[in-house]
Amino acid sequence: MTKQHPAWSPYDNNGGTCVAIAGADYCVTAADTRMSTGYSILSRDYSKIIKLADKCVMASSGFQADVKALQKLLAARHLIYQHQHNKQMSCPAMGQLLSNTLYYKRFFPYYSFNVLGGLDNEGKGCVYTYDAVGSYERVGYSSQGSGSTLIMPFLDNQLKSPSPLLLPAQDAVTPLSEAEAVDLVKTCFASATERDIYTGDKLEIVVLNKDGIHREYMELRKD
Amino acid sequence: MSNSAIDVPSRGGFSFDLCRRNDMLAKKGVNLPSFRKTGTTIVGLIFQDGVILGADTRATEGPIVCDKNCEKIHYMAPNIYCCGAGTAADTEAVTDMVSSQLQLHRYHTGRESRVVTALTLLKKHLFNYQGYVQAALVLGGVDCTGPHLHTIYPHGSTDTLPFATMGSGSLAAMAMFESKYKEGLTKDEGIQLVVDAICSGIFNDLGSGSNVDVCVITKGHKEYLRNHLLPNPRTFVNAKGYSFPKKTEVLLTKITPLRERVEVVEGGDAMEE
Amino acid sequence: MVGKNCFAIASDRRLGVQLQTIATDFQRISKIHDRLFIGLSGLATDSQTLYQRLVFRHKLYQLREERDMKPETFASLVSALLYEKRFGPYFCQPVIAGLSDEDKPFICTMDSIGAKELAKDFVVAGTAGESLYGACEAMFKPDMEPDELFETVSQALLSSVDRDCLSGWGGHVYIV
Repeated sequence: MTKQHPAWSPYDNNGGTCVAIAGADYCVTAADTRMSTGYSILSRDYSKIIKLADKCVMASSGFQADVKALQKLLAARHLIYQHQHNKQMSCPAMGQLLSNTLYYKRFFPYYSFNVLGGLDNEGKGCVYTYDAVGSYERVGYSSQGSGSTLIMPFLDNQLKSPSPLLLPAQDAVTPLSEAEAVDLVKTCFASATERDIYTGDKLEIVVLNKDGIHREYMELRKD
Repeated sequence: MSNSAIDVPSRGGFSFDLCRRNDMLAKKGVNLPSFRKTGTTIVGLIFQDGVILGADTRATEGPIVCDKNCEKIHYMAPNIYCCGAGTAADTEAVTDMVSSQLQLHRYHTGRESRVVTALTLLKKHLFNYQGYVQAALVLGGVDCTGPHLHTIYPHGSTDTLPFATMGSGSLAAMAMFESKYKEGLTKDEGIQLVVDAICSGIFNDLGSGSNVDVCVITKGHKEYLRNHLLPNPRTFVNAKGYSFPKKTEVLLTKITPLRERVEVVEGGDAMEE
Repeated sequence: MVGKNCFAIASDRRLGVQLQTIATDFQRISKIHDRLFIGLSGLATDSQTLYQRLVFRHKLYQLREERDMKPETFASLVSALLYEKRFGPYFCQPVIAGLSDEDKPFICTMDSIGAKELAKDFVVAGTAGESLYGACEAMFKPDMEPDELFETVSQALLSSVDRDCLSGWGGHVYIV
């Protein structure tokens, strides 16, 4: 057995920020494409968003090696699901699967902070937000990662959703149109990039609606 | 603090009377405040007729940028400038202090300050504080003995070099210098090389960012190019701006008019005899 | 935050020890003179001590010079007082905002050992600092009129404070 250095850690933080916004018939998921460690940039063009099913994408920040392992595991589970049921997994089902997968490693967690965006069975936008060990919630909008503390207050201000405790339960989706939501996401990231050193380079926006998946990119600050 | 004499404009020097209390608080689990750092790229080089200094303009506190356009090239004397990296308060205080000592020295001797004088004052102070005053400096200037460039480490050791870099982006910047520096650069070549080195720090080091400041010092002349290059403009501004869906609830409004300022008229009409 | 020939300085009203709230109408912002305000976040005992020392020094200045301090001068004074305690700092982050004689706004913040940060748009300090940076960065517009400035500052403050467990209970806003 080789002795391990006492300060060695199995985890690293590669930074990055993810945002997802659910609308009446669309879902916008976005993340920056910078991967960094400490004070250095590892890649300026690393996609944090992956398509898990036809109507479900996941954006993850945190430790990208764990994220990669998680993505592979989910893809394998999804393939088995397709063989057994002969259909694509729905977004709420994928949400539950992701939670279970994360909690399965409760005491040696995947160091990843995920948001899941997609369309539910009625075609409404849905966003699920997670912590590293699988606690999750369906919300109208969410942000995760290094710049989340900067973005969250602004999203609250613009998209204030009704309390989940209200009865009868109210819809959490935002009233914005798709184009407005995309603009809002762009502003969020432009602002976060100004102040968060781990967010930058390029913004990848994935829009899901009834027509399918549409990807677009915007340049961010590179310093 | 019972003695009111303590509050009279002080004699200078640090005060340590809160150290014990702060230690006690830290042991009880109060988290200590973090200090503002300049995780920086600062550089300097000697060209054919003087010295060029360069710096980025980002100040950070952990992963957050707290100042996007700060000044890191500090004035020491009319012919000497100094770039600072490390804890922001320390670099600021140490350069201010030494520049005032140099000014007094100039009043006393009636001669231009020398770079070695500044160097000695700085390293003496830093050595005294055993590295606890966290300032890493690049000092450059031109005096009667020619152009000089020095680096000073927080512990008080110094180097004398033809080109130097400091701060978290020092490796990125040094890479540019090592590959392109040669003796006897012209002014334009020198500025371009400094800008390249700073930009390499800005783009490849997360602790450095925003704009490029440059300072060119030649015999009897200096040129401070604040924000010489702005390579990082904001990338997106919503054309329409934002409205606020819910207006703020105002609980109480109190209006206090500002006191009128008294106009003093010098040499008004003379009083009648 | 800076507007057109005006500035706004705002703070929340909570005073707490860790997670326990002590008071819900705490005044964190104090007046130095008519056109100069200082907000002190951090340990309340240090804020008050520092505030008293600053008022004392400002009164001495008024007596000697027969005028009010300029905001820039005052900022240097605060910085000097803080840096004196470099190795045993006050647990206190000041925000200084003032209007110069030509009605030009001046804003400035410092860390607990007096590293000045001068900005042209906005400055923040305290436990909700990160959230405030995000909110202000997205909402700020240059050259706002007082009414608009008030709305922007209040909105930024309230939405940030909602995401910080250690601040809350509404806010005080001063527009000068």
